[in-house]
Amino acid sequence: MYGFHAISTHNGWAMAIAGALIVFSGLVVLSTAISQIHRILLFFETKYASFRSNNKIQENDEPEEQPELALPTTFPTELDEIACLYQPLIKKIGETFYLSDLYKIAIENDFPHPHITLTAFRDAKILIPYGDGVFSWEPPNENTVNENE
Amino acid sequence: MDLLFQFLSNTGYYLADYRNVIMIVVGTVFLYLGTAKKYEPLLLVPIGFGILVGNVPFFKGFGLGIYESNSVLHYLYFGVTTGLYPSIVFLGLGAMTDFSSLLARPSLMLLGAAAQMGIFFTLLGALGLGFLPKEAASIAIIGGADGPTSIFLTAKLAPHLIGPIAIAAYSYMALIPVIQPPIMRLLTSRKERLIRMPELREVSQKERIIFPGIAVILCCFLAPASIPLLGTFFFGNLLKECGVTERLAQTARTAIIDTATILLGLTVGASTQGDVFLTPKSVGIFLLGAVAFSIATASGVIFGKIMNLFLKEKINPLLGAAGVSAVPGSAREVHLVGQSEDPENFLLMHAMACNSSGVIGSAICAGILWSFMIVL
Repeated sequence: MYGFHAISTHNGWAMAIAGALIVFSGLVVLSTAISQIHRILLFFETKYASFRSNNKIQENDEPEEQPELALPTTFPTELDEIACLYQPLIKKIGETFYLSDLYKIAIENDFPHPHITLTAFRDAKILIPYGDGVFSWEPPNENTVNENE
Repeated sequence: MDLLFQFLSNTGYYLADYRNVIMIVVGTVFLYLGTAKKYEPLLLVPIGFGILVGNVPFFKGFGLGIYESNSVLHYLYFGVTTGLYPSIVFLGLGAMTDFSSLLARPSLMLLGAAAQMGIFFTLLGALGLGFLPKEAASIAIIGGADGPTSIFLTAKLAPHLIGPIAIAAYSYMALIPVIQPPIMRLLTSRKERLIRMPELREVSQKERIIFPGIAVILCCFLAPASIPLLGTFFFGNLLKECGVTERLAQTARTAIIDTATILLGLTVGASTQGDVFLTPKSVGIFLLGAVAFSIATASGVIFGKIMNLFLKEKINPLLGAAGVSAVPGSAREVHLVGQSEDPENFLLMHAMACNSSGVIGSAICAGILWSFMIVL
């Protein structure tokens, strides 16, 4: 048996169409699922961080005082040095964060020109994009940061 | 004198027929392509030598041939007929694969799905040419361009075709630099080939650890018959990514996969005994294999162009050709074709994303086809 007759007899059309649809839908579901992993992780990390800070407050009965950020009178011009000044802010908002959160906290703490600075951080790959406005912080040089701390 | 004549009549020189000679020439060509041309040498050298070994004529009944139940080669071949070697190869492959690029841009997985269309077109073609459904399914999987997957499915559905199907699958994988570029160029304009892909985001270790768990559940729940392949594949990947089993991952991606590849290549090569291999069916399998591989490449590229109709940020349709699961050959070829138009266009990481999704896709297809055939 050959040709279209053989294909129809052996249910070939149905197998080909169903098979193609199954593999396609399977990979679409998988790609959708994996595209959400980083968002879900971010959600849990944020929840976990707030849970830990709430616990600390309950344990101490008093809110822990946040150390004031002391900005130098003359703001540095070198990007690495500016990154060191941003380090405490990153500690506050966590390992991964929305760029808008970093911008907001920089404004609140009177950092000069945060918009330009954040753009420069992005260009210098100090801020690593995760997509959808989520970023992580990659200090330019760990040693420099530690020394300044 | 009688003893001498008896001895001479038992030698390979006396017993050889033209089919053995043809297959020895084929084996020599494989060895030449593997060693001199460096086309997939890790596969073609063991297979080529296996073809030489398998086509040395011998006296039947001495327990020498791969199809004789008490021979050493037969015991080694057990790993092929049971699907053991392909599973082990997938374990090592998982321990080698970095899914970062796929996790950074999951939409590229669709190109891996599109490239599997070659499998289903070939299924129709093989049925139309008169192959039985189980044989047709085994031939169709060549379109996935994945040697271990082809061998695995053929061992389950049509063990008598393992030799020709494995040889066809590995031959076309080795011939990627010859087969794919003309199809890519034919189906894309220069403007499309010049499209640059944006830099991929960094992927955290947590994402890379979670991925194999999610993927094995989603894929194997959909096609449980792919567990022997995808189960070991994602397990190998977890060993690599979890950060606490580096020693196991290292063994899986070196000693274990190398051992399996050697035994797989040698025994598949030896299974191509002239009298078993040189049949009209083998010719049909080779022709359908070429069609399958070409359609798979074309489907990926065309789907890339279709995606561009809906995307704001266009993707380079060449990436679709890497949706077949020939890792990393097809990804490398996509990168080279892209660079031939624009030396500063780096497509390799994006192509690897399509390539790794092609591995997953072809294993799912194998599971689906196996499930269909159980019903028949």
